Amino acid sequence: MSSPPPTLDGILHRQDVWRGRRHQGMPHTGVDSGYALLNAELLHGGWPRGTLIEICQKPFQGDWQLFLPALRVHNQGVIALLNPPAQPFSQAFIQANIDLERLLVINAPDNADFLHCFSEMARSDDCAAMLAWQPRKGLSYSNLRKCLLAATLSNAIHALFRPWAAQRESSPAALRISTKYIDNELEFFIFKQKGILRSRQPQPVRLPLPECWQAAQPYCALDHSDIARNQSAGASALNLKAGT
Amino acid sequence: MSSARNHLWLALRLRELPLHVLKTDIPPERPVAVTERRVVIFCNAAARALGVTRGMDPTTARFAGDCLLVPRKRNLESAALYQLRDQLYRFTPHIALHESKEAPQSGLLLEISTCLRLFSGVRNLCDAILKYLADAGHDVRWGLAHTAPGAWLLSFAHHAPSGDETRQMFIDRLNALPVQVLYDHPGAVDTLVKMGFTTLGDVARQITSSGLTSFARRLGPQFANALAEIYAIERDFSQRSLFSAPVSTHVPVIHFEDSLSFDTPLALIEHLQPAFEHLLQNLGAFLDKRQLTCQHIQWQLSDIYQHKEIVDIRSDIPQSGWQLLYDLTLITFANRPIPFEVDALTLLCHDRQPRQDSSATLDLNGEHRQPGVSRELAATLMKLKTRLGDAALHKISYRDSLLPELSHAMIGMGEKCIQQLPRPHHKALRPTWLLPEPEEIAERNGRLYWQGRLTLAAGPERLTSHWWETSVARDYYLARRQDKQILWIFQDLHDERWYVQGFFG
Repeated sequence: MSSPPPTLDGILHRQDVWRGRRHQGMPHTGVDSGYALLNAELLHGGWPRGTLIEICQKPFQGDWQLFLPALRVHNQGVIALLNPPAQPFSQAFIQANIDLERLLVINAPDNADFLHCFSEMARSDDCAAMLAWQPRKGLSYSNLRKCLLAATLSNAIHALFRPWAAQRESSPAALRISTKYIDNELEFFIFKQKGILRSRQPQPVRLPLPECWQAAQPYCALDHSDIARNQSAGASALNLKAGT
Repeated sequence: MSSARNHLWLALRLRELPLHVLKTDIPPERPVAVTERRVVIFCNAAARALGVTRGMDPTTARFAGDCLLVPRKRNLESAALYQLRDQLYRFTPHIALHESKEAPQSGLLLEISTCLRLFSGVRNLCDAILKYLADAGHDVRWGLAHTAPGAWLLSFAHHAPSGDETRQMFIDRLNALPVQVLYDHPGAVDTLVKMGFTTLGDVARQITSSGLTSFARRLGPQFANALAEIYAIERDFSQRSLFSAPVSTHVPVIHFEDSLSFDTPLALIEHLQPAFEHLLQNLGAFLDKRQLTCQHIQWQLSDIYQHKEIVDIRSDIPQSGWQLLYDLTLITFANRPIPFEVDALTLLCHDRQPRQDSSATLDLNGEHRQPGVSRELAATLMKLKTRLGDAALHKISYRDSLLPELSHAMIGMGEKCIQQLPRPHHKALRPTWLLPEPEEIAERNGRLYWQGRLTLAAGPERLTSHWWETSVARDYYLARRQDKQILWIFQDLHDERWYVQGFFG
């Protein structure tokens, strides 16, 4: 017994059908990133669910800044951190109103273990987001493809952090971004977004960093005599600064 | 002396327990004495025939006739009593242990009034119990009474069970016993003898005429309470039976053990899988039937050459079904080669807990997420832990300390996170990433270098702590590197060196 032939409407409602520039009719299933500038650039008005987001960056350059607002708003489900490059500092996440009970750290330095963990966590309905850092040995195209296939099984955010140089490599990820710090801003650049036909060269977008991260005052504006008078304990630190 | 209670107690006194538990292969004709604290506390018939008695000095006992002296093993005696209690559970669930501090007299007390119909009367029940114990090699003396201590005392007398014993009959039998049977109260017995009391009947008559108060006054309330319990004397309350403690019910510890033997030795996990599944299904049925859960099972692989390999499977959350344990077993064996060709496979489960069905929010549409880790996620995490090891998965928590490295804790999946920050930390500058150990920053020509040149951007925040041991004083700064990386660094105010401790990511 043969299955009924697919209808045009049915095909057009599939998320994996590319419709050129006409993506207005597609369901907006993105998770609000917390940045209007970023949402405007993303196809679904936010971080796409159920697919692989690849972020190429130097270590620690804006990983949490990109995803913390979205994770704070969607406050249900586990946030799995696969192979994090250091320990997520509990005090910072308490300050950011992230429930620590949701944060789950998994260390899988071996490639096979990494892929296994990625697939297992992606299959779990309780995993709201997975932030993964690729193992030291790197991931091949087929490995990335496995991650993508696993990610499509769920409705969560799956972000894979890769080194800056990985931009030059081919990847099946639906969304590829590079990020870096520029003074007091985080610059992100979307160099691949599946489902959008670019008519022009994409432009980098800059997001402001938290105010408390920014330098209190340019050094040249400081009154040297006041500092010397008021800060005896921190004198050596400021001497070092003066050396700059 | 009256009571509305209709209990019937059977006391089983194990006369040779101190010797029985030692399981020495000594022939019965060899004189043996068990000693404790340099005193003979038990001797067999052969030793008694040579003149060895309780309370004798061990040296004297040895010279009495080549008597073998063995030290007493109280822990073995207790273990034997526990084992016997489990075995006698088949006759009655109401079983208590009796262990004396003053004399090597131990045994069991069985409340049998609720089991008489099942075993067709007292005689049949007593016969069945005594036959069971005799078959197990125990030398038992028994006593029947309406109270537990009364039954124990009557085990020193010899009355055949008739089946038509009455309460008054038990009291009469107790009255005939000498006061020395109250050996647990040696001081009181000496006083009673000096006062001219020779039998418990003398004591009972005194209680009838003057009440228990006179005994409580002269010999202490503890002894008076013991007498009241022996005779089931109601006092203090007009209806004491209404306030009496219920008879305790023994629940035996049940272990699961099941095994399969193979016709041909098996060397591949794939061949063992059906056996794993079969045994785990049996375990699942066992747990389900008894409303139990378990968190730990053991697989024992063995062959005909007496090789044995035990593999432990643990689960974070209690399991009542077999499926997850099966998955965990396969994952464990996938990472562990079989050391020899297996002839027999045994599943052991000593860990068991009562199943507790927790209440949950009624959610017919499945719209609400239940708090805590769901069963499915727990299963996933357990699979990952089995593959990667326990240390590979953890949560993070705050710990009360001023020092950043001590205020951050990695905790297990089953532990609860502490999320209450003290007020000083609420708005303090804290990085999102913390290094496991602070790394020293190079200092050249008054400039800081750590994988690039650093520039201080904000701070300092001074943290001082541990003044009670090695004092710690640090000034923390936010620093920028050449590549715009934002770091959390500090200067140790004691050695004036700089360290990087975190990153703002």
